[in-house]
Amino acid sequence: MGLGFAVGVFGVLILAHAAYSTIQYRGLLKIMEEEFSGPPMNVVIELLLGFAVCMWAALTVPGNFLSIHPYADENRIVSLPANLDFMIFNHRGKAFPLDLDLKLKH
Amino acid sequence: MAGHNDSNASEKKSNEATNDLPTFNAENMQSNMKIIYYSRTFMSIIGGVIAGILGFTSLTGFIFYFLVMAITSVGLTAKAGFSIHSYFSSWNQIVLDGFLGGLMSFVLFWTFAYDIVHIF
Repeated sequence: MGLGFAVGVFGVLILAHAAYSTIQYRGLLKIMEEEFSGPPMNVVIELLLGFAVCMWAALTVPGNFLSIHPYADENRIVSLPANLDFMIFNHRGKAFPLDLDLKLKH
Repeated sequence: MAGHNDSNASEKKSNEATNDLPTFNAENMQSNMKIIYYSRTFMSIIGGVIAGILGFTSLTGFIFYFLVMAITSVGLTAKAGFSIHSYFSSWNQIVLDGFLGGLMSFVLFWTFAYDIVHIF
């Protein structure tokens, strides 16, 4: 999430720089009294780079697709603890000492 | 007899279809749709900025929008690992959803970038 977001901001910055270069190019054309026919080569390359970077960010940032099939592997694991019938409290695990501070160590 | 068999087969098919419909996990499907909308909106904004900087006008810009959306669809398909039907119920969801809403953002940012770069 953090990395993808940073990459997206970087892509927007590349596009902003491309826009700034185009503004400068247009100012140059105004001084030389020529018509604008198309953006210069370095701007086009910059735009392509920015597009690719933003594309990667747009596909990465929102997270992964989740399977919609109820019997897919990922869905099955999630739904098992929701069923209270599978909860067992009276088993041989109570013979072992309880590690109650197990989570605090993390 | 043959007709009877056919009707039996079609009934079986419709039964299968009705059994298939409610077995989708609605929560995950909604989450997938949210991801699609997020990607499409962001890509249409970026496409609008690029079209504005390149100085596209009228029809060229709209063709550029179709191009960007097609590339985004391919990207989303690749993200789903080319197995669409385990994440979406149909192709329309990945190809068409969010298209018109994205067009609005696209036109907004297209005119915005064009004004900044080419007019002011």
